[in-house]
Amino acid sequence: MRQLSVFLYFCINQYIDLVKGRLFFILIALAVVCFSCRNSTKKTGEFVFPEADSVPAGEAEKLSAEAIADISKNITSPVEIANLLQLMEVPFSPEYIASSIDANKQTTNFDKALALGILGADLGYLNMYEKTGSSINILSSIRKLAEGIRVGQFFDFETIKRLSLNKSNLDSLLFLSIDSYNQIDKYLRDNDRGHLSSLMIIGVWIEGQFLATQVMKQYPDPMLRDRIGEQKIILNDLILLASPYCNRYPEFTSLCQSLQEMKTRYRDVRITYTLGEPVSVEKDGGLVITQTETSKVEMTDEQLAGIIEVSKNIRNKLIVNN
Amino acid sequence: MKKYFITLLFLAAGVCLSGQSSDPLVTGCVLSAGANARYLKDFRIQLGKAVNTTDLRYKANMSLWKNTKYRFTMCNADDSKGKLILCIKDDANKVVLSSFDQKTGKTYPYIDFICNKSGIYQLNFDFENGQQGSGVGVVSMIK
Repeated sequence: MRQLSVFLYFCINQYIDLVKGRLFFILIALAVVCFSCRNSTKKTGEFVFPEADSVPAGEAEKLSAEAIADISKNITSPVEIANLLQLMEVPFSPEYIASSIDANKQTTNFDKALALGILGADLGYLNMYEKTGSSINILSSIRKLAEGIRVGQFFDFETIKRLSLNKSNLDSLLFLSIDSYNQIDKYLRDNDRGHLSSLMIIGVWIEGQFLATQVMKQYPDPMLRDRIGEQKIILNDLILLASPYCNRYPEFTSLCQSLQEMKTRYRDVRITYTLGEPVSVEKDGGLVITQTETSKVEMTDEQLAGIIEVSKNIRNKLIVNN
Repeated sequence: MKKYFITLLFLAAGVCLSGQSSDPLVTGCVLSAGANARYLKDFRIQLGKAVNTTDLRYKANMSLWKNTKYRFTMCNADDSKGKLILCIKDDANKVVLSSFDQKTGKTYPYIDFICNKSGIYQLNFDFENGQQGSGVGVVSMIK
């Protein structure tokens, strides 16, 4: 079956490409995507924001197709944040969930895609804490939102619901949930609806950031503090993700401003690195590698307070119309 | 007419297949990561035979976070000519880990990575000796 699907996929792609006479251009584009390097200028031992503000709008637009694919993999998974919270023994709290989002009240595709991202992050949090009752409610909202932007076919609701109710297989549940989001993301990008994909990714990040910062307020912890500070590393990518649409769609304007506000709060947070060689040990047929190179976040209490405040404001502004 | 019919048949079959749930190779690989591993991401790789084997061909970026133990599990389809290998480089292009030991020629099926430096890393995949194959690299987090 697998071979058949590969063959069919090949045949369809060949056919479409040949008919449209674009094979050569696609190969060139693929070569650029495969061999180009992303921004990796920092060798000074400190992370600094690239001068993205100076990237012309047209340039940002060109970057977006490949950038979205990369950036979507870079966003901290809400599962990773939830895992950190569990490590800190922070109890589950329904207060962090965007339960006020009413899928029926999301009228525009902008609202639907953003809410889909926010609820996706909440679903990851609920799944990790095995709060199945609440996750069923969130799942039905996700279903409505996904159908609203015509991507419901990628979400296997019945299986996810069944796995949610049957707590025995958390990994399958996480896989199916995340995989569904990945498929939606890819489909939107492949079908010239990259702005909705970007919104979904930004929504996931904003909700994850809200969760981390709210917990930090209540349960201060150095690891969580670092994780919040380290978000500076991907914030610029998020801004890049939204930038092609900031002036094209009026709804994006406020969101882009919010991300810039967040960037301002992060500007003086310092991330420094110390060098070291990895240490590897063979164990049970696999390899265990410990990284001795380290990163260190320097962030004052005032800077952290500012980030917590702006994270809350941005997130609450996005869900306030519900 | 016949040509169009065949094309339509291909398109319909493609749509049906893409609507199905995930590839058994992927789900099998996710589950093989172990009970204490929590799925994060996967990378599905399909490559033909390489013309030259100087560089690993499939590249993707991923953020990895300090104080986290990741598990990278590599699985191959039965018809692959070589085993899937992974090499991770940091943002300075320095190799952080490789599942292929050049000295011994051994390929490890999984690697646990204790990350102490947050950042965006480049994941490079290929099949041994640039062979053709299809496989999946699953990234999990160890509790």
